[in-house]
Amino acid sequence: MRGFHKPISSRQWGLSALLLVGAVALPFVASPFELRLAQQILLFGGLAVAWNLLGGFTTYWSFGHAAFFGLGAFAAGLLGQQLGPEVPVALRLVLGLLFAMAVTLAAAVAVALPVLRLRGIYFAIAMLAFAQILGEVSKTFDVFQGAIGFTLPILKVPGLAKVQLFYFLFLVFLMVCIGLFVVMRRSRLGVGLTCIGQDEDTAAMLGVPTERYKLTAFVISAVLTAVGGVLYSYSLGFMTADTVFRIDISLNLILYSMVGGIGTVAGPIIGAAIMILLTQVVLGDLLDLHMLVTGAVLVAMVTLAPKGLIGLVRDMRRRREETTVEEGAAS
Amino acid sequence: MTGTLFLQTLVDGLILGGIFSLSAVGFSLIFGVLGVVNLSHGIFVLLGAYLGLALKEAWGIDPLMAIPLVFGALFVLGGLVQITLVSGAVRRGSLMSSLLITFGVSLMLRDLIILVFGPDVQSLSSSWLFDTFRIGGVIVDGARASGLIASLLSLGLLSYVLYRSKVGRAMRATAQQDFAAGLCGIDVKKIYAMTFGVSAGFAGVSGIIVGLINPFTPFDDTHWTLNAFVTVVLGGVGSPVGALLGGLMLGGISTFSSQYVGSLYPNVFIFGALLLMLIVRPNGLLGNAYKGSV
Amino acid sequence: MTVLTIESLTKQFRGLRAIEDVTLTVERDSITSIVGPNGAGKSTLFNMVSGYLKPTSGRIEFDGHDITGMAPYRICRQGVARAFQISKPFPELSVQENVLVAASFGRAGERDAKATTTRAIDICHLTPLRDRRAGSLSIGNLRRLELARAIAARPILLLADEPCAGLNDAETRELTNVLSKIRDSGVTILLVEHDIKAVRRVSDRVVVLEAGRKIADGSATDVFSDQAVIDAYLGTAPA
Repeated sequence: MRGFHKPISSRQWGLSALLLVGAVALPFVASPFELRLAQQILLFGGLAVAWNLLGGFTTYWSFGHAAFFGLGAFAAGLLGQQLGPEVPVALRLVLGLLFAMAVTLAAAVAVALPVLRLRGIYFAIAMLAFAQILGEVSKTFDVFQGAIGFTLPILKVPGLAKVQLFYFLFLVFLMVCIGLFVVMRRSRLGVGLTCIGQDEDTAAMLGVPTERYKLTAFVISAVLTAVGGVLYSYSLGFMTADTVFRIDISLNLILYSMVGGIGTVAGPIIGAAIMILLTQVVLGDLLDLHMLVTGAVLVAMVTLAPKGLIGLVRDMRRRREETTVEEGAAS
Repeated sequence: MTGTLFLQTLVDGLILGGIFSLSAVGFSLIFGVLGVVNLSHGIFVLLGAYLGLALKEAWGIDPLMAIPLVFGALFVLGGLVQITLVSGAVRRGSLMSSLLITFGVSLMLRDLIILVFGPDVQSLSSSWLFDTFRIGGVIVDGARASGLIASLLSLGLLSYVLYRSKVGRAMRATAQQDFAAGLCGIDVKKIYAMTFGVSAGFAGVSGIIVGLINPFTPFDDTHWTLNAFVTVVLGGVGSPVGALLGGLMLGGISTFSSQYVGSLYPNVFIFGALLLMLIVRPNGLLGNAYKGSV
Repeated sequence: MTVLTIESLTKQFRGLRAIEDVTLTVERDSITSIVGPNGAGKSTLFNMVSGYLKPTSGRIEFDGHDITGMAPYRICRQGVARAFQISKPFPELSVQENVLVAASFGRAGERDAKATTTRAIDICHLTPLRDRRAGSLSIGNLRRLELARAIAARPILLLADEPCAGLNDAETRELTNVLSKIRDSGVTILLVEHDIKAVRRVSDRVVVLEAGRKIADGSATDVFSDQAVIDAYLGTAPA
């Protein structure tokens, strides 16, 4: 929508292009271990951006996005099994993605209609419960094979190692998430959602179609998350209920966004990078302390920098500008 | 036989429900008085169980005798958590912040439990509790019976404190209107800390009872937090009676669905009930004990 | 020409008749003020016109359509905007963005939203403040922002709910100027207001309610010299 955001500057375009070139070049210079880390940052950064499509604009903070992550993975796994081995792997992945998106779309609409009527913590907990139910159901009913899981075929592209291939797939996924977020933020939908986030009743009174907007954001966010679940499972080569319906995935998406800055594009990705590097490299040998550190970071961020690192930097910059303006006026 | 089975299921449900009630009452109190959903509640329950274990192994104190000690220890811990970490979020009036902070606290405490006690399954069995007795075909074992009795006694005690003592009156006043309560000379900060302390204390006591009946691991806290939430959503916010009602319903849903539908289903039913209640009547059957229904 | 017609409107809450058989009309491009002591039924009347309350009996006609008992958002779409006494801006958005939201999502649609916004901000004397965060405004500025947002939706009729309450003399004077400018821009205003000085200054017509009944209706000068009005209302407050 015009009038709300400054146009993207040539400096921002340039920086983005530079980052992209760097990201494309990385797999040809980095070690497999470094690439696996980068993979995770791309995937979970992308998922955190997808979570922000709803949670970043509004206070509808889903504590159960693992539901869609798992739903997508299971949809693709079940379809892959039906298709049988004669279908090429790449085609299976594409069909699996499409099927996962369709199933998640339907499920997200069905869940959203009651759940989006709840506000604040009630929404958060309802989503948490929804994710738990899906996880339990997938394990309980034999048709879903949640407890045993599926083995997924190995995707091969000549000239690329597996780790490189999935690096590029995750990179594309992240870029799609970023693209959607940026387009959405600048659209009527994004402005309407921002208003819903600040005061839903007033937004409705001013003519913002709140129900439709919330539903749209929720569904897009859910479908992207499902895509992430499918790609993740293919990168592992197998899946069970315990690899995808993970409460820690739901909560990490919030944590990453919180660390970087909720409602920004770069924030969730920066947050994912910091937390993944912190737990896997800095504390790589101290597995025992991961939860302790994660918890401490979460508490510290909420208490000291609720707008995340990006918010912190912005506030500091604004304060500096204000003081220079005052000094200028005084002299 | 079906009659006996039904009766046995009902009795099991009631016993389980009594424990659910006790484990949820503190959660309910914090929710009612501070308006905070305490995601570290489950870890307080587990801490109770692990403290009981430590006391038993170090000095051979019987878990049931350890209840006052555990209550005291968790009272202090809960109060400290509120004063140091949660109070900031409450002051800013941000429910989401309090949710995230208490979640962070639960991660830290869980890690500490693992560091001290290890990640394996533990239990608090006490030999004299294994005697079983029958009442007209229904089997009850000592652990469960004493668990139920301790739960009911604790809930009664809490009701008495809330509705008959000065501190309880201050808590209820603060729950209704914290600002006005402050104007009437109530030290709201102290009441918040006390509420957190009492709540954590009761969680710890319920942890001992849970530990007597079931084995436990450091990863059970999510289960207990969610159970507490379901109990509150079923019964109502803030009152021991609401917690009792919600807990009994939850116990009933749990035992009946596993008896008659399948042992793997209780959680599906429990969370299904939660979703249904959230949508139909989010403040529980009895509503919020302190505030009008929203 | 008549914009709003209220015909023998009654609202009963259990035993209490908040509004009893009130009939009044509002002429296009005028400011009509409703005054009366506390509990006279002013807010009830407003809530019925904007759709938040359903009348017990009677009829409300707006711009040729029967809007009795219609949902608030539909009445809003017909062209009735409401400015609340307790204004709730989007605190993190700027003044301009707040008004732009109303202009873009309101009745007019997104076309010309920018121009509508600039005009509404200008009418409400907010141009120097347009880049300020709404959360940082003083109460007087907030009231004018509330009005700007309401007229940015390009309503035919504006319901203004005690816009002068709690303002000092200078702020009240500025606000009544803004109300006159809004009327001159082609928006009819129905005003509920306690501040008699302000009412005298801006009203083309004044309606007095007491205990749910209309006891006077006419020009400000006529109404405020009416003995029944003085007894019922002005006598109780030093005006």
